[in-house]
Amino acid sequence: MAVIERGVKNAHSASTIKQSPLVRTLGAAVAALPAYQNTYADAPPEFTEVGLRYSHYSEDSLSEDKFIAGARGRYDIDVTQLWIEAPIGSNWSIAVDVQNDSMSGASPWFVGTQVDGQPGVIMSGASIYDNRVEVGATTRYFWADGNAGFNVTHSKEDDYEALAMAFDVAWNSADNARTWSASASTSNDRVEPVNGNIPVFIDQEDIDTASIYFGVSQILSSTAIVRIGLGYTFSEGYLSDPYKLFDARPDEHSRTALSGGYRKFFPEAQGALQIDYRYYSDDWGTDSHTAEVAWHQSFDRFALTPYLRYYSQREADFFSVIADLEQDFYADDFRLSSYGAITVGLRSTVQIGDWQMEGQLERYESDNDWGLYDGEAAPALVNFWRATIGISWRFD
Amino acid sequence: MHCALKFCSYWRSKRLEAFRFVVLCAVMGVAGCSGLEPVAAWERGYLAEEGMQWQSSAREAKFEGHVYTSKEASSGGNGAAGGGCGCN
Repeated sequence: MAVIERGVKNAHSASTIKQSPLVRTLGAAVAALPAYQNTYADAPPEFTEVGLRYSHYSEDSLSEDKFIAGARGRYDIDVTQLWIEAPIGSNWSIAVDVQNDSMSGASPWFVGTQVDGQPGVIMSGASIYDNRVEVGATTRYFWADGNAGFNVTHSKEDDYEALAMAFDVAWNSADNARTWSASASTSNDRVEPVNGNIPVFIDQEDIDTASIYFGVSQILSSTAIVRIGLGYTFSEGYLSDPYKLFDARPDEHSRTALSGGYRKFFPEAQGALQIDYRYYSDDWGTDSHTAEVAWHQSFDRFALTPYLRYYSQREADFFSVIADLEQDFYADDFRLSSYGAITVGLRSTVQIGDWQMEGQLERYESDNDWGLYDGEAAPALVNFWRATIGISWRFD
Repeated sequence: MHCALKFCSYWRSKRLEAFRFVVLCAVMGVAGCSGLEPVAAWERGYLAEEGMQWQSSAREAKFEGHVYTSKEASSGGNGAAGGGCGCN
């Protein structure tokens, strides 16, 4: 985990901790997989680290004017993350992550027409409860010019089970100014929807996903670095949402994304400017742009990072506000509609001896009018809060 | 192998015309970086600062990816697949 000490000497020891093997742990984390930039990346962590993190995610209730029936209260999720990572000998490291998600709330079932002619949402009835447990293990080998890791993750909840495996590698140029990275992974998922408040029409289906990624980062100066990455993901199987009444999607999905990042350190201010951008395109007709800007301000043992994220997507070809059942494929899922979203957040860390505490608060709001693309407004667009606290401890 | 074939076919589609152009520009940009003034190892202290990392922490990246994957259409496509969920 990150530490806050400054200066070259401290930066060296800090980096060996910060660049934990899990930085390259595959899964969602690889969305920001760094083609790492400094000369200290290719050694195992110097310490063992244990950590605990708790997050609460809470969606706003559906507004009265967009609600037809069911329960208005949407999802609340409690997420607990526990991890340990440690060096093994001089060339290896291992890490184990456990995550528990506890969910409750109602979700949109389908979109119909209100008495005034406007679209409205029929929600699932009373609260849905579910619990997901994910366990992942990563081992990594380090050599002079690079490192390679292998990760296995298993996730299980009442109606869904997934087993994912991933391999990644990073290697540096001779002058350590450029780092190339690549990864490949597979995930085999099984969905077994549970008949509860709403009826479901399948017993058991499978989804297979494979991904490849290639990226490069380049040191531009002693205070600036840039990266770019290209990724491709292919899924096949049952890709519809079994908990939506009107949802029939193609059984294949190709996705490509080009991502870039820039970091600039300002020594006088002891702060860093962070800019990230991603362009995404898939064969369901969706394009999206994601831009994020943050300022990381270091104090003595304390750091504050305010950040702003903008996201905009184009609706899928088969999306309509009220599902068009005449088509081969159809969906009224708000997540496939055209809209824009803004996230505003603040992250902080405090370092006390071998302990580090962290806290984070963010607000996400979405609106059809904020998007870059045309398309009708889906009534179930979501807004949410999320808050996180965490603590970690390092020891020899 | 199946994934690689699908990628080749999708990559050549007309839909990705503009995308291919951007990737080409990006590759040329990276190639152009080889003319940069080298930064010595002892000058890289600032690059190791916490604020210069690509992500604040692996767990935060995982959590954030999970949230956005569940609530936005553009999941995946920029990295390896992880253990999925039935989030709706």
